[in-house]
Amino acid sequence: MSALDRKLARDLRGAAGMLLAITGIIVVGVTCFVGLSSAYVNLAESKRRYYEQCRMADFSVELKKVPLAELAPLAELPGVAAIRPRIQFYAAVDLPEVAEPLNGLVLSLPDRPQPIINDVVLRRGSYFTDRRENEVLVSESFAQYHRLRPGQWIHLLLNNRRQEVFIVGTAISSEFVYLLGPGRVTPDPKHFGVFYLKQSFAEDVFDFSGAANQVLGRLEASRGGDPREVLRRAETILSAYGVFSTTPLEEQFSNRFLSNEIRGLQTFATITPTMFLAVAALVLNVLLTRLTQQQRTTIGTLKAVGYSDWQLFWHLEKLGLSVGVLGGLLGCGLGYWLAGAMTGLYRLFFQFPDFQNEFSPWIHAAGLAISVACAVLGSLRGSRAVLKLRPAEAMRPAAPRQGGAVLLERVAWFWKSLDSGWRMVLRNVLRNRVRTLAGIFAAAMGASVLVNAWMMADAMTYFLDFQFRHVLRSDIDLTFKDEHGEDALLEAARLPGVDRAEPFLSVACTFRNGPYEKKGSITGLVPGAQLTVPRDLQERPARIPRAGLAMTRTLADILHLARGDTVTIEPVKGLRIACEVPVAEIAESYLGTSVYADLHYLNRLVNEEFALSGVQLTLDGDPGRRAALDRQLKELPALQAVGAREDIIQGIEETVLKHQWVVIDIMVFFAGVVFFGSILNASLVSLAERQREVATLRVLGYGPWQIGTLLLRESMIITLIGAVLGMPLGYALTAFTAWAYNTELFRLPIIATTGTWLWTLVLAVMFGLVAHMFVQRAIHRMAWPDALKAQE
Amino acid sequence: MSTTPSGNGRKRLLHLEQVHKRFQMGEVAVEALRDICLDVQEREFLVMVGPSGSGKTTILNILGGIDVVTSGKVWFRDQDMTSVTAAELTRYRRETVGFVFQFYNLVPNLTARENVMVSTEISRSPLDVSEALRLVELEDRQDHFPSQLSGGEQQRVAIARAIAKDPLLLLCDEPTGALDFATGIRVLRLLVDLKEKLGKTIVLITHNGAIAPVADRVVRLRSGQIVEVHANPTPVPPEEISW
Repeated sequence: MSALDRKLARDLRGAAGMLLAITGIIVVGVTCFVGLSSAYVNLAESKRRYYEQCRMADFSVELKKVPLAELAPLAELPGVAAIRPRIQFYAAVDLPEVAEPLNGLVLSLPDRPQPIINDVVLRRGSYFTDRRENEVLVSESFAQYHRLRPGQWIHLLLNNRRQEVFIVGTAISSEFVYLLGPGRVTPDPKHFGVFYLKQSFAEDVFDFSGAANQVLGRLEASRGGDPREVLRRAETILSAYGVFSTTPLEEQFSNRFLSNEIRGLQTFATITPTMFLAVAALVLNVLLTRLTQQQRTTIGTLKAVGYSDWQLFWHLEKLGLSVGVLGGLLGCGLGYWLAGAMTGLYRLFFQFPDFQNEFSPWIHAAGLAISVACAVLGSLRGSRAVLKLRPAEAMRPAAPRQGGAVLLERVAWFWKSLDSGWRMVLRNVLRNRVRTLAGIFAAAMGASVLVNAWMMADAMTYFLDFQFRHVLRSDIDLTFKDEHGEDALLEAARLPGVDRAEPFLSVACTFRNGPYEKKGSITGLVPGAQLTVPRDLQERPARIPRAGLAMTRTLADILHLARGDTVTIEPVKGLRIACEVPVAEIAESYLGTSVYADLHYLNRLVNEEFALSGVQLTLDGDPGRRAALDRQLKELPALQAVGAREDIIQGIEETVLKHQWVVIDIMVFFAGVVFFGSILNASLVSLAERQREVATLRVLGYGPWQIGTLLLRESMIITLIGAVLGMPLGYALTAFTAWAYNTELFRLPIIATTGTWLWTLVLAVMFGLVAHMFVQRAIHRMAWPDALKAQE
Repeated sequence: MSTTPSGNGRKRLLHLEQVHKRFQMGEVAVEALRDICLDVQEREFLVMVGPSGSGKTTILNILGGIDVVTSGKVWFRDQDMTSVTAAELTRYRRETVGFVFQFYNLVPNLTARENVMVSTEISRSPLDVSEALRLVELEDRQDHFPSQLSGGEQQRVAIARAIAKDPLLLLCDEPTGALDFATGIRVLRLLVDLKEKLGKTIVLITHNGAIAPVADRVVRLRSGQIVEVHANPTPVPPEEISW
């Protein structure tokens, strides 16, 4: 090892504390980059492979009933590569050991295995056999939850008849990576599953011989995946068969959730690491500028000995490089672990046949390269400054820095009121501009990360509360397979344990305003409804007009509508007569495209007297009557779905909210590393520069605690200014996050509580105090008499 | 204009011709050298004496290629040093010059041996590190750090570092300034031996006029100008001087 490299190794050891603090910040940045990027690749690649394996449909058409023979024109449309008709219905699921009603989506599969669009992947057991007609494949998550195995019999309510079916296997499919039941926002394997029946059996049991009520399609690769034109023409071709909806892949629920998550990861894999690495580069810049200044005489001597500028530049850069390499390697390792943890978390929500944390060499190489680049950039200023000097100049003591009054001194009444300690502190802060700004920037980044983490948590908690305690206030929602009349409402009101029953009507339709079109639905509520109370962002109940529609701002913007305009609605069921309807109210909402109307008004629009799609119930809370209710609901063939609000809330709490706190803990830790690293570095650099000053104060009679207080005041001023500036940054980051994750269906509220701001400040101060403990220790240990004699 | 008398048969190694040097120290401009003409001859022991601020260090730095003139010419043999590139100046320092500083300027976290290695590792034909340390009688302290050595020992390490490159020219900036009398004499003896036994050219600057008799030639400086140059046909051994 050369003498210069030995010097480097000892320089590193001598500044180990400060360098490790900065390495910590680099580690955090690289961990975020490698972790988020790897998680992104894991998810994106798994999606790509799974969609390919299952031949994922590019579009689907849902309709009332179409003879298979009438589908040829659809298959022949330009751009359509293949179609697959199938039968789909919702059904009630009867498991003997489960008291509460369970729901399922029943889909048909070919009797014999063959490559099909939206194929299944067997997980246990086998495909259908010739031994029975009534065989079923059950979705894996539902089967696992209820411990269902191949060879068991279960009952499904199919077409108002209780059917016994034999489980031959469990399966998953790419169309249900994120499996949501009706009315759910998180997967709920306890209450909802998918059941695959033989095509022949499904045709028989649903009276759909030679017919289908859903058509899946794949586009030719050359189209580039845009199915809109195909869907428009499909709707025209199949209009006689009652088209309810046409859904391109990008609007398919599971794909939408998955793609949104992937997009979000991609965004944050760039933003979050950039924030941390920028702080690391700045803080390293401060440290290395100081270290190279300290070595000014040595550098001058080495130049006098005959070392070239490049040799010395490289020698100084190696200091930064060491930090970059160490930070990069540790960050890559931790990033791999983080990706594994995120992959594990995603497995709770997304179902893939094979979803592992894959090692991506190029991501790790990029992480290391970014780390090194950050460190090298951070070291540049320090290295260059000394190298510009001629040897003789480098060996002369540096010219004293500019003295003179700072700006604050002009505020005479304020300045006079300060003691000498505060004056020293404020002058130091204001004269060391680069160091102060670096510290403020670091504190701002740390604070913004904290604010963002807490605001996201508050947003989810608020949304849960808003949606499921203020808007939806029923205990149970019953959804019927078809519309029913008032007698269904009366029957529901008479069910055991029911306190209140309110009907609702859901009309799926196409909204049109000139060239603008959107498929959606209108929910009709009775006047004075108590169990669904749409609210605006200020939580005020939205007015449901007696005539006309109340719609969300999101939908109004899509359709270019203002209050008072008229919109054409075309129901997809029933007489399907288009009509013009006034837009009576527009309100901001977290649920993107909701539309409400008076129940009776809506009935008139669809030429019904009193049709309802379902009933919302509140219960009296008696457990015995609840059990009786569950038993009765299990027996009701007319039901498509039964949704219990508490189950939905519990599902969200156990998945999204619980894991959110893990994320918050990680972000608080990361923010802590940033605060700690930058404060420790700045304070120790300041102490190293002012050794003679400190020694002089000691001679005068100052104790180490008093000297520590001076440095603490400096670091607290910088930390608090940075934290306060970081708060609006954190707010902006949260707004950006919300925008990145918002979809037409759902937008995240932006909630900023007093607790968020207070806790940010408290934590900033706490981390600062922890860093100061190390500084105080350095002050206690300082050999200050030597500092009075030594040259720098 | 000051001039140097012609040498006593020695070849001219360095020549300064009408050299001026001005420094900008913040808002103040300082004329450190004015109209200097000086020769340095091979294998001579040249001592430059003058009070603080007389320009001795500035001349030394210019001779050593670690500073540049404001105007004038500097010749190293036939080469005009004022028109060379930075890389050529670096090569000059590396191959031709050994520097000894008043405060030693050792690298604090390298041992004595490693401080000498700093020099030998960039030299084309260096002395052996152990040989260099033997010449300064420090071979048994070679694994000590500067903080573990006395001032005299540190200065001797600095001299070993300077001579390990086997330079033509040894430039010494107040080498005895931080040392006690006895140690200072030892260092002077070392330097004289280097000139006589190894044929080095030594240029030594000092404010201590008592050292002048050791030299072959003495140059006196005041206020950035040469006021006197005289040859010393019978240099006095270092052991016979005192201050």
